[in-house]
Amino acid sequence: MSRRYDSRTTIFSPEGRLYQVEYAMEAIGNAGSAIGILATDGVVLVGEKKVTSKLLQTSKSTEKMYKIDDHLACAVAGIMSDANILINTARVQAQRYTFAYQEPMPVEQLVQSLCDTKQGYTQFGGLRPFGVSFLFSGWDSNFGFQLYMSDPSGNYSGWKAAAIGANNQAAQSMLKQDYTEDLGREEAVNLALKVLSKTMDSTSLTSDKLELAEIFLLPSGKVKYQVCSPEGLTKLLLKSGVNQPAAEPSA
Amino acid sequence: MKLDASGLQTFAPHRADPDNLYPDLSAPPSFDLPGCPDFDGFQKKAIQMVKPAKGTTTLAFIFNEGVIVAADSRASMGGYISSQTVKKIIEINPYMIGTMAGGAADCQFWHRNLGIKCRLHELANKRRISVTGASKLLANILYSYRGMGLSVGTMIAGWDETGPALYYVDSEGGRLKGKRFSVGSGSPYAYGVLDSGYRSDLSIEEAAELARRAIYHATFRDGASGGVASVYHVGPNGWKKLSGDDVGELHYKYYPVVPAIVEHEMADAPPA
Amino acid sequence: MECVFGLVGDGFALIAADSSAVNSILVHKSNEDKIMVLDSHKLLGASGEAGDRAQFTEYIQKNVHLYQFRNGIPLTTAAAANFTRGELATALRKFCFGQSPYFVNILLAGYDKEVGPSLYYIDYIATLHKLDKGAFGYGSYFSLSMMDRHYRNGMSLEQAIDLVDKCIIEIRSRLVVAPPNFVIKIVDQNGAREYAWRESIPSV
Repeated sequence: MSRRYDSRTTIFSPEGRLYQVEYAMEAIGNAGSAIGILATDGVVLVGEKKVTSKLLQTSKSTEKMYKIDDHLACAVAGIMSDANILINTARVQAQRYTFAYQEPMPVEQLVQSLCDTKQGYTQFGGLRPFGVSFLFSGWDSNFGFQLYMSDPSGNYSGWKAAAIGANNQAAQSMLKQDYTEDLGREEAVNLALKVLSKTMDSTSLTSDKLELAEIFLLPSGKVKYQVCSPEGLTKLLLKSGVNQPAAEPSA
Repeated sequence: MKLDASGLQTFAPHRADPDNLYPDLSAPPSFDLPGCPDFDGFQKKAIQMVKPAKGTTTLAFIFNEGVIVAADSRASMGGYISSQTVKKIIEINPYMIGTMAGGAADCQFWHRNLGIKCRLHELANKRRISVTGASKLLANILYSYRGMGLSVGTMIAGWDETGPALYYVDSEGGRLKGKRFSVGSGSPYAYGVLDSGYRSDLSIEEAAELARRAIYHATFRDGASGGVASVYHVGPNGWKKLSGDDVGELHYKYYPVVPAIVEHEMADAPPA
Repeated sequence: MECVFGLVGDGFALIAADSSAVNSILVHKSNEDKIMVLDSHKLLGASGEAGDRAQFTEYIQKNVHLYQFRNGIPLTTAAAANFTRGELATALRKFCFGQSPYFVNILLAGYDKEVGPSLYYIDYIATLHKLDKGAFGYGSYFSLSMMDRHYRNGMSLEQAIDLVDKCIIEIRSRLVVAPPNFVIKIVDQNGAREYAWRESIPSV
C-alpha cells in the first residue's frame, strides 16, 4: 500500500502520513545520540561519537557540535552531509541578521528560519527531506538561555532537557525522571553524562566516544561557547564515576 | 539648496530652454542616444520638456456643510491658450471628485484609473471606499512612477462614512490631509482670497461665493488661468455642481461699469 | 524650511519637528505631523522630500511591526536604527530608470529596558550615528548651537523642554524661512507619545 505514497515527498498517504518524512526520522533513530540540558547558568550539550572502525581517524575537533554564532551552537544527529548544508545556512542566516540589525540573532528566530528550510523540503516535489535532528542551544537578551529540538519535518520546540538520535526515547524518559528545575551547569553535565552512559550501546564511556560543549555567560556578560577537551572529559568521567562498565544493559 | 519656484511659473518653457536640445530646427529630426556624455542631464531636460507647469487654479475646502471644490477652465501650452472650456473637476463617483492641475492627460488618466479601483473596491467590500483610502491608492500609484515625468497636482474631495474629507496628492508622492488647499500657478492668488474669507460656519451659498471669488481673482492675475469658474459642493448625499460662471462676466458682476459722469454737456452754440 | 531636532534626557528622549508642508514658496499645511510613532517605544522624526518622507517612514514602520508580529518581540532601538540605515543604503545604490534614492533624513528616538533612552541620527546617504543631541534641516544651524551651549547630561524633562523652546524661538527669530508651528514628542519607559504643540499661527 505504502509503495504508491513513499516515493515522493509531496504526497500524503490515505492514512494522512508523509512516509518520506517518517523514514527520515527513522534514519536519525540509528545515528549517534545527543543530549541537551538547560541549566540555570548555561546550556550543556553532550554527544556520542560513533566509532565505526578502529582505523577511522576520529576528528580532532568536534563532529557533532557546531558553533553557529558567538551566542549559538547546535548538536546534530542524523546524516552529517545533510547537516552540513543546514549548518551552513544557519550560519549565513545569523550573519545576515547581524548585518541588518547589528545585534545577535535571537535564538528562536534562527531555529525558526532553519526549520522553514527543512519544511520546504517536505513539500516541494523532487526533493528529499533533510535527515537531521538538531539540538540548538544559545543565549539572547530577550529570553536568556534556551534549548530547542528540531526534526526533519521542520517541527521545533523549546525544552528544558532533550535527547535526539539512537535511544532518544529512553534518554528522554530518564531525563524526565532526573531533571530538576534549579540544575547548575556542573550538575547538568553530570546528568547528561549519566544518561548518555546508560543509553549508549557501547559498554564503557570514554573521552574518544564523547563530545561535550557548554554555553554560558562570562563575568563580562559575553556569551561563551566552550568545548571540553578530551583530557578534561576523561577527568570529568572519572569524577562523575560513569566511565565504569555499565552495570545494566541499556534500555 | 535652491528654492524651486518652477511649479508656480505661469508659462511652461515652450521649447525655449537655455541650452536648447534642438539647436537647429532645419536639421533632420534626431535625438541623442543614451551614450551621450551627460545622460542624466539629457534625461532631466527631456523630462522638463514633457512636464508642463501647473498653469491652473483649483481650490477646495472643508466647512461645516461639506466640501466646496472649485476650478477655472483654461488649458494653455506655454503662451498659447488651447482651450477655455476644460473640465478640471473630475467626477470619480457620486460621492467623490478630484481636481486637475498639471498634465491634463496624466490627471484624466489616473483619475479614471482611480475611479475603476474605487468601483472595484465597492463591489468587493459592499461599501464605498473612504476618501483616505482612495487618495492613498492614487498617491501610491503616482509614487511608483516617481521621477518618470508624471505631472499631477490634485485634490481628492468627498464624503464618506467619516464625513467630509479632503486630501492633496501630487506626482512627487506628496499626500496631505487638510481643511483647505489650492493647487496650480494661480494658487497663491486664490489662497489670499480664500484665507481671508474662510470661516467654518459659512453657509453653502457663502462658501460657493467665496470659492468663486477666489477663482475669479486668481484668473484676474494669473495668465494661465481663466475661462469659467465652476463650483461644486459635496454633501452627505454626494456632489452637486452649483455654478459655472465665465470669469469675464464675473468681472463685470463684481466691478460693474459705472457710467462716466459727463461733467460738461456740450451745447450747441446758440446761433449768433 | 524644515527643522527636525532631538535630544536625550534623564530617562527619556524627545524629538521636535516643524509641521509645515511646503511646495516651493507655498505653505500647503501648517499642522503636518512629521514625527511618526514607530512602535510603543520608538519615535521617528523625518525631514526631506514630501513623498519620500511619507513613503519611507511608513515602509520602516510597517517593517518594524512585521518583525514584531513574526517574532513576538520588538526590535531594539539600535536594531531599528541599523535596519533603517540598511534600507537607505540599499536604495542609495539602486539606479534604475526613474528610480532615485530616498531623500530623507531621520532622527530615531527610542527607549529600551536594558539601555534606557537613545537617539540615532541617520541621514539620506545612510550615515548612522548614536547621539545625545542631533538636528536636520535649515533649523539645525540654530538648534545645534543652542543645544551645544545649553545641553547637559541627564537633563530633566522640564529642562529639556525649556531647551527645545529656546531652539524654536531662535529658529523663529533668525531663520528667514522659519516655519511657524512645531510638534514635540517624547519617549520614555511609559512609551512614545505626543508631548506638545508650539503654534504661532492657527493651523490650516
